[in-house]
Amino acid sequence: MIKRKLILIMENKPGALVRVIGLFHQRGYNIENLHVDVVEDFAPYKSIEDKLNTKFEPNQISRLTIQTTVSDILMRQILRQLNRLIDVIAVSNEEATYFKGVLLDENLL
Amino acid sequence: MLMHALHDEGVELIYGYPGGTALHVYDAIFRQDKIEHILVRHEQGATHAADGYARATGKPGVVLVTSGPGATNTITGIATAFMDSIPMVVLSCQVASHLIGTDAFQETDMIGVSRPIVKHSYTVFDAKDIPKTIKEAFYVATSGRPGPVVIDIPKDMTAPENLFDYQYPNEVNIRSYNPPINPDQSQVERAVDAIIKSSRPVIYAGGGAIASDAEEILYELNEIMDAPVTNTLMGLGIYPATHHRFLGMLGMHGTYQANMAMHNADLIIAVGARFDDRITNSPSKFAPKAKVIHLDVDHSSVSKIIEANVAVFGQVKNSLQAIKETLKERIQDYDKGVLEPWHGEIKEWKSMHGLNYELYKDESDSHQILPQAVVQHVYQITNGDAYVTSDVGQHQMFAAQYYHFDKPRRWINSGGLGTMGFGLPSAMGVKLAFPDEEVLCITGEGSIQMCIQELSTCLQYNLPIKIININNEALGMVKQWQDMNYGGRHSESTYKNSLPDFVKLAESYGHVGIKIEKNSELKSGLEKAFAMKDKLVFVDIYVDPSEHVYPMLVANNSLEDMWLSKDKKT
Ligand SMILES: Cc1ncc(C[n+]2csc(CCOP(=O)(O)OP(=O)(O)O)c2C)c(N)n1
Ligand SMILES: [Mg+2]
Repeated sequence: MIKRKLILIMENKPGALVRVIGLFHQRGYNIENLHVDVVEDFAPYKSIEDKLNTKFEPNQISRLTIQTTVSDILMRQILRQLNRLIDVIAVSNEEATYFKGVLLDENLL
Repeated sequence: MLMHALHDEGVELIYGYPGGTALHVYDAIFRQDKIEHILVRHEQGATHAADGYARATGKPGVVLVTSGPGATNTITGIATAFMDSIPMVVLSCQVASHLIGTDAFQETDMIGVSRPIVKHSYTVFDAKDIPKTIKEAFYVATSGRPGPVVIDIPKDMTAPENLFDYQYPNEVNIRSYNPPINPDQSQVERAVDAIIKSSRPVIYAGGGAIASDAEEILYELNEIMDAPVTNTLMGLGIYPATHHRFLGMLGMHGTYQANMAMHNADLIIAVGARFDDRITNSPSKFAPKAKVIHLDVDHSSVSKIIEANVAVFGQVKNSLQAIKETLKERIQDYDKGVLEPWHGEIKEWKSMHGLNYELYKDESDSHQILPQAVVQHVYQITNGDAYVTSDVGQHQMFAAQYYHFDKPRRWINSGGLGTMGFGLPSAMGVKLAFPDEEVLCITGEGSIQMCIQELSTCLQYNLPIKIININNEALGMVKQWQDMNYGGRHSESTYKNSLPDFVKLAESYGHVGIKIEKNSELKSGLEKAFAMKDKLVFVDIYVDPSEHVYPMLVANNSLEDMWLSKDKKT
């Protein structure tokens, strides 16, 4: 069990946050730290915009930072299942960034 | 507007049940004639009927219910569809917007209650959004890995006095949702490399292959490969059961040869299957010598339980197609002759402990009716061409083992959740989709009582389903586990002579009931039932209650470790 930090980029829609949290709760994991911001500076996410062929507008996406303690295997599973959520755009941990299930080169952290 | 949108989406049938918050919608149903509404007797029945319809046709099933208890009654059905990745859209009405959160009459937070068992859900906050929401919901439910979607609709959103310009969107674009469609060619090449190197391959195909309508392409690929094929409980029919390369079902109650082949394979090609715990037994002991190629549309299914050596993401059908094309190009490197010893070994396993498919030939009264023989007779009488729904228990496993499905979408059962009560309502959904086809439900006296009220729906809509009730006067599967693991203590798994008279029960619902108790009368009784083409016939068959389902995997072991009978282990 290791303390980990995760970053999610997701659509800023009602219900999106609770779906994310639910995946941790279901497995009995406590979230130690949680932070949500509406993204105002899109510069770091230019590559995502390009991949999605879209332009983010103000108030459209949020950035979620989560700190939790889980094992390696479960971390990987949670990452993939977070990615499966319809409103989630990209997920990143210390090692990798997943974008719609695909590993990206750059890291959002 | 809701009905317009559903019609524009191509919906023909809705399964539902009215109530206070749904009244506006029900009035709209009354005032149109394009979409047929089927009034069930319990909302759980509506979800299973929509689910059966979806499994048989490949089209999404649609459910409409009122708020509160109407909505919560759909939960088991939604969870069933979720576990088996079945496309379904559930329209659950809600109290008016201004009452939400006030503990209003029949208010339930349906979005909250259903959250872990839906692919996605929507609340309509503005009536103008209805067309777009419907479009998105159907797209999400049917694309990628399919699944149920809930739309919560507050009553004021359907108020008839609110009129809007209506336009149904032509296309959907959800930027955060792009399920993979075509595989990456480099992965396909790696898969073909592994296929060429293998001398003991097994194709292991599941429900995902059915969802992607991959039967033809799978067949064509294997005409080239000539590998043995096994199917999961969810995958039965995706490869013809009567094909000489078919091993039967694998897993918990899989055939000896299917489990042995998986255990001893050097290559497993998983096609739309997810290595469920009923398949792998102990994952650490699973198929120790095998490399794994995993074809799936869902990234999170791959390397979840069993690490994949090659992962091919995309619509399973497209991935199979790409593998076939690539293998064809490199056909000079592929020698199916190297598989001969492997086929020889499998043949030996089959002859050692294969299932006996000729039990039905013994029509003597020297013993009680065998449940396996019931399924075999039904298979013979229906020429193997019926739509068969089932419930959960021993009867379900006997049906899966002894009815040979040559086509996909004919075997309709709750594989992932294992929902007793699924059989009868799902058979209604199938019969409504295919009124001219033979539809039957192989059930047990325990399961059938969980949704028995739908017999009334069958009368209202004239659905001449055949119900084959394998009556062992017990919760047989529970009893089997108690026999095997709890010293035969049958805790709460029998009913102590309190079963209803199913013949009278069927008759009171306006149907025909037949009771069969003697082995010598089994064949003629079943023939009589199937001869009544336009009647629902409830065939109540008393079978030997001491029968167990075998083979059965020995828990926490590998796939070679099976019970073959009450006193024989591998
Ligand atoms: C709704 C529900 N409750 C409980 C179970 C657990 N369960 C699995 S099989 C079974 C017994 C089923 O009895 P019956 O329908 O008579 O089938 P049999 O095994 O006797 O053929 C039970 C209780 C379940 N699968 N579904
Ligand atoms: Mg029973």
